[in-house]
Amino acid sequence: MTARKSGSRLESEIERCRSESQWDKIPELVRQLSAKLISNGLCLEKVPSSSPSLSNKNSPSTNRSPAEREQEIITCYEKSGDIALLYLQEAEKVSGIQNRSPKPGPTSQDLELGYFLETGLQRAHVIHFKNGNLTQGVGRFREILRAVETRTTQNLRMTIARQLAEILLRGMCEQSYWSPLEDPPTVSPLDNPTQKGLTYSKNYTLSRRPRVYSGENLFCPQENTEEALLLLLISESMANRDAVLSRIPEHNNDRIISLQSASVVYDLLTIALGRRGQYEMLSECLERAMKFAFEEFHLWYQLALSLMAAGKSARAVKVLKECIRLKPDDPTIPLLAVKMCIGPLHWLDEGEKFAKMVIDMEEKAAEFRGKGYLAIGLVYSLKATDGKFCSSLSPTDHLAAFYLALQLAVSRQIPEALGYVRQALQLQGDDVHSLHLLALLLSAQKHYHDALNIIEMALSEYPENFNLLYTKVKLEAMCRGPEEALLTCKHMLQIWKSFYNLTNPSDSGRGSSLLDRAIADRRQLNAMTLPDFSDPDTGSVHATSIAASRVEQALSEVASSLQSSAPKHGPLHPWMTLAQIWLHAAEVYIGMSKPAEATACTQEAANLFPTSHNVLYMRGQIAELRGNMDDAKRWYEEALSINPTHVKTMQRLGLILHQLQRYSLSEKVLRDAVQVNSTAHDVWNSLGEVLQAQGNAAAATECFLTALELEASSPILPFTIIPRAL
Amino acid sequence: MLGSERGVVEEWLSEFKSLPETRIPSYAGSLHLKKSLVPALYRVIQDPNNELLEPVCHQLFELYRSSEDRLRRFTLQFLPELVWVYLRVTASRDRQSNGCIEALLLGIYNLEIVDKDGNSKLLSFTIPSLSKPSVYHEPSSLGSMALTEGALCQHDLIRVVYSGLHPQRETFTAQNRFEVLCFLMLCYNSAVVYMPLSSYQSVCRMSSRVCVCGFPRQQQKLWREPCNRVLLDPEFMVQMLTAVYHAIYNGEWEMGQEALEDIVYRAQLELYSQPLLLGNAMKNSLPESAPETQRGRKVLQVEVTPTISRISISAITTASIRRHRWKREDCFDYSTDAELSLAISPPSLVQHHLHDPPRETAAKEDRGGRHHSHHNGGSSIIPPITLEDADGMSGGEDSFNINDPDEGFSSGASNSSQPSGTKTGGSLGQRGSLNSSSSSFKKAITARLSRDKDKEKDREKERERDREVEKQVELCADQQAAGTKPRQRQQSPPGSIKLDAIHLSPIKKHLSFPAGHPLVRTGSTSSSKSFDCMNLNLNGGEDEREEAAGGSDKETGPLLGGSLRHSTVSLQEEHLNRPEESQALLSPGAPLTKQSRSPSFNMQIISQV
Repeated sequence: MTARKSGSRLESEIERCRSESQWDKIPELVRQLSAKLISNGLCLEKVPSSSPSLSNKNSPSTNRSPAEREQEIITCYEKSGDIALLYLQEAEKVSGIQNRSPKPGPTSQDLELGYFLETGLQRAHVIHFKNGNLTQGVGRFREILRAVETRTTQNLRMTIARQLAEILLRGMCEQSYWSPLEDPPTVSPLDNPTQKGLTYSKNYTLSRRPRVYSGENLFCPQENTEEALLLLLISESMANRDAVLSRIPEHNNDRIISLQSASVVYDLLTIALGRRGQYEMLSECLERAMKFAFEEFHLWYQLALSLMAAGKSARAVKVLKECIRLKPDDPTIPLLAVKMCIGPLHWLDEGEKFAKMVIDMEEKAAEFRGKGYLAIGLVYSLKATDGKFCSSLSPTDHLAAFYLALQLAVSRQIPEALGYVRQALQLQGDDVHSLHLLALLLSAQKHYHDALNIIEMALSEYPENFNLLYTKVKLEAMCRGPEEALLTCKHMLQIWKSFYNLTNPSDSGRGSSLLDRAIADRRQLNAMTLPDFSDPDTGSVHATSIAASRVEQALSEVASSLQSSAPKHGPLHPWMTLAQIWLHAAEVYIGMSKPAEATACTQEAANLFPTSHNVLYMRGQIAELRGNMDDAKRWYEEALSINPTHVKTMQRLGLILHQLQRYSLSEKVLRDAVQVNSTAHDVWNSLGEVLQAQGNAAAATECFLTALELEASSPILPFTIIPRAL
Repeated sequence: MLGSERGVVEEWLSEFKSLPETRIPSYAGSLHLKKSLVPALYRVIQDPNNELLEPVCHQLFELYRSSEDRLRRFTLQFLPELVWVYLRVTASRDRQSNGCIEALLLGIYNLEIVDKDGNSKLLSFTIPSLSKPSVYHEPSSLGSMALTEGALCQHDLIRVVYSGLHPQRETFTAQNRFEVLCFLMLCYNSAVVYMPLSSYQSVCRMSSRVCVCGFPRQQQKLWREPCNRVLLDPEFMVQMLTAVYHAIYNGEWEMGQEALEDIVYRAQLELYSQPLLLGNAMKNSLPESAPETQRGRKVLQVEVTPTISRISISAITTASIRRHRWKREDCFDYSTDAELSLAISPPSLVQHHLHDPPRETAAKEDRGGRHHSHHNGGSSIIPPITLEDADGMSGGEDSFNINDPDEGFSSGASNSSQPSGTKTGGSLGQRGSLNSSSSSFKKAITARLSRDKDKEKDREKERERDREVEKQVELCADQQAAGTKPRQRQQSPPGSIKLDAIHLSPIKKHLSFPAGHPLVRTGSTSSSKSFDCMNLNLNGGEDEREEAAGGSDKETGPLLGGSLRHSTVSLQEEHLNRPEESQALLSPGAPLTKQSRSPSFNMQIISQV
């Protein structure tokens, strides 16, 4: 009681000093006042609440319930905290450091939070949380943070902002959230049930309250993650400022402290942004952490992962190299690098190096060893050399069996491939690529109806997989007639539309096309800038022109990326899918000898990608259909100027030259085509015809025989349309 | 299953059926009092052959359909268990016995994807920006940092849709499985604090099991039931992590940590970057020991932390370097008044040099500054940089220069103005005074800059767009160089200030805009245009197509040939009458398609908030 009295006396004393401009006296008075309040609070906390006898004896009039006691303790702390804030704000104003620049005023050095001021500012919410009273704890946090910052409170704010963010991320969720400017919910699941009915209310008034941030258009978070992010960004900018940059030994401790405080903030940022899928922004934040990162594995690794998740593969691989240097024993890191090298980057030599690192770890790599072999096998397979898999190391990995089957299929060992693809399907019956490969293998054995059945089965599980649908079009044209195939093309267009357009016609009125885009464009185009790729017709890499490879890659590797969780599969662009669909339709029309329709379809594709060699090739075919050989030749030549290794075009061009009786040129073109892809039976066939026309019967026979042999194992679409990725 | 448990479940089944509408709220309030009900229901869900499973699933769905939040949450608490049972059965390929659980999951999904009015729900949030004042800060109070926070170029807040426009689903397919499950887990996580402890245990159990079953690690677990590997999706794993993270801090410290370990283990095996990223962050930020749990389930804890600056004053920090600079200006301000007039260069010139590298010049300046400050007789507290040996200093400054995004605006601007200042002043001969004059130029131009800031921002945006691609490539090279060989600068001869400045210019370009927000922004804004444009066109086309399809459908009869022909004709007609229209619409769209292929084409959605 005495403390309170003198407390109020002190308050009026301070007011008097203020009005008389005796600024120099105030600090001392404030210290006294808060010391009074704090010690009062500390004493009350120390007195055990279960000793009513004591308080009864001492002062019967103050026979308070535990609840009232709690209330009084908190009041002491909160009041002293508010006074401290107010005092610091005023002190700063007076000493003339209104400019909030980082210039240190001479006076700022003497302002320091003493023990009492600091306790006052922190103890209240600590007690709230200790009592399980989360709602009020959060409320108090926010009060302190909303008060205008002073130089002295900067460190405190950084800590408190981080702590509040922790609470928001760990103890709250979207449905239990209330915004800082709203009243908290009356009943909250956040609060300890035993404390229910004990709502604490602020029962003190100060003549003046600390200034809070105010103004027009203040951003006020409306959502859990939003607030956590804002707080973390504030905290981050402060932590960043305290980054200790010198490397001399004397500053080791300082450096560790600054690293730790920053590292916590960056981890929380990762959690907050990651759960919202904002990897792009996250990678930018983590880049700012790099000033702390010298020899710090965790920070490097997190940066690499965020870059990878954001689709910035090239940089991610470079950062991963640093991670490998810092932690050479971890097999995951090189494997992550291989994954990107094989996938979006197509850096096969780099990928090989990383995969070898894993294999060289031998026993240390443990469960990852099989993956290492798988990776190197894939690299070799993509390099179109002999793929050697060590599937025995991981007999339960369906991927190993699948890639082995795929490699066997590419080298046309059809029965062996069938065996392995069955094994893969036993391990993972849903796998879309295995099902697709099975269908292609069946088609290679000319069991078209079985293949179609498999495709239809796969489509029942993956109804929107365009890759499967392309194969279906081909198969249908083959065994059910072109009309059926056209229907499938139309169906694909509808899927495309529903996929990339308004999913729900009913809310088209809300004009959310911008929002649709957000959904559709989740698929990033990161690989588009990257130079090399594997030509789908041949399965091997050629240094074709960049322009051709970009378009070709996108057009052909449409792949499975259309699954709902597309980003993980890498590159894909809706427009390329669309162009691809039109080209398929055009092909069906050509098969029906309908040049006008085919032209219209090709035009659609050409509107999207006028310089695609596929479009030009299709135009050539149409011209050929119309009997216009000169035009056809011109189109084919243009197509080859964009992509000089497009085998189908070469074959057609060779045929035309043959018809024009320019045998040696025709032979040259066809021989080039065979060089590019030695498994294209129609090229061999044409070559045979040219050789025959030139009178070279022996060589012609050999070509025909080869063609015949290859035809017997030729699938309806090249096996290489199945994407290979880790 | 025990008879008593069975009784409890049966009673619960019949009670709700006979409940009149009016009593539902009180029923919802009393549901949690039935202590034995929840364990009994878990028992039913876990047993695929239990004949009560179907009525229970049905009832759970009924509860979820009610308007009472508490009833919905009652159902939601079983979600992790349902997901586990579903995934396990899917992996074992025994589809038949899974029917009612699938139906329940799909039912909840279909209810959740729409709002009250039946419109498709869009979940979005705003990415806060430090450059915009908020209830917790004002940009200027964070010093120059806030100004560079990608901020000079990005004054708008970005609103991002993180989930939305999910189509109704009638059946599970391998393709849509994780889309549905991800969304369900998102719903669970958005109400996670309302879940009882038993549900946290269930989510930890589920996460552990789906991640390890069929893998070698399963052998180390108590739970050894043979089970095929369950295919997982990275986004789904992120949702699991979110739930587990909550469980760790709200009563399931040990189970939660085990689940966290298992998810990270699986993410490593699958080489999924997203769950690995989050899992690492969660592991790294765990408190050292379990917080005390005496007060019920809440493990959240806050402690009084001494915040009095723990970093010794002599250490070089980003802030101390900045202070140092400010200091020097103060010293030279008055001494070089004469040169001030020269310093005010035309804005174009300033801009031209805005991105020049401060590396060399900064170092020179520091040395110069040190020198001068000695002359001025300690008129101020010079930060202890002066006391450092050259080595420590260069090390510190190097890392500061190389990746110091938050320095960008002020330091970049101020330092880079130096060459421009010397040029205008034509003071080539007076190298001696160069150092001293530079800071005054700097000051003058900084002031100027702050006035012209807005104009500049726009221009910077443009410039940046141009640089976008090269920057990405180069930046990584820079970073690499920064990481591996941090010391180079010292050897350069003293007279080469200007040369170096010009020489290094590309580097600074990157450094002053490390945040890269604007890139994303501009890229996607423009591409959004293109998309809209194309949409328009396609909508036109597609609608027709649909109509045509509708037409043909109606007539599809036994006469297959005819109807098919009809449909081909409709396809074809459409092409025939489209060219004019599509040309008109496409002509603006065509260049934009190219644009839309740019690498920054991404999912972010931008609007001014």
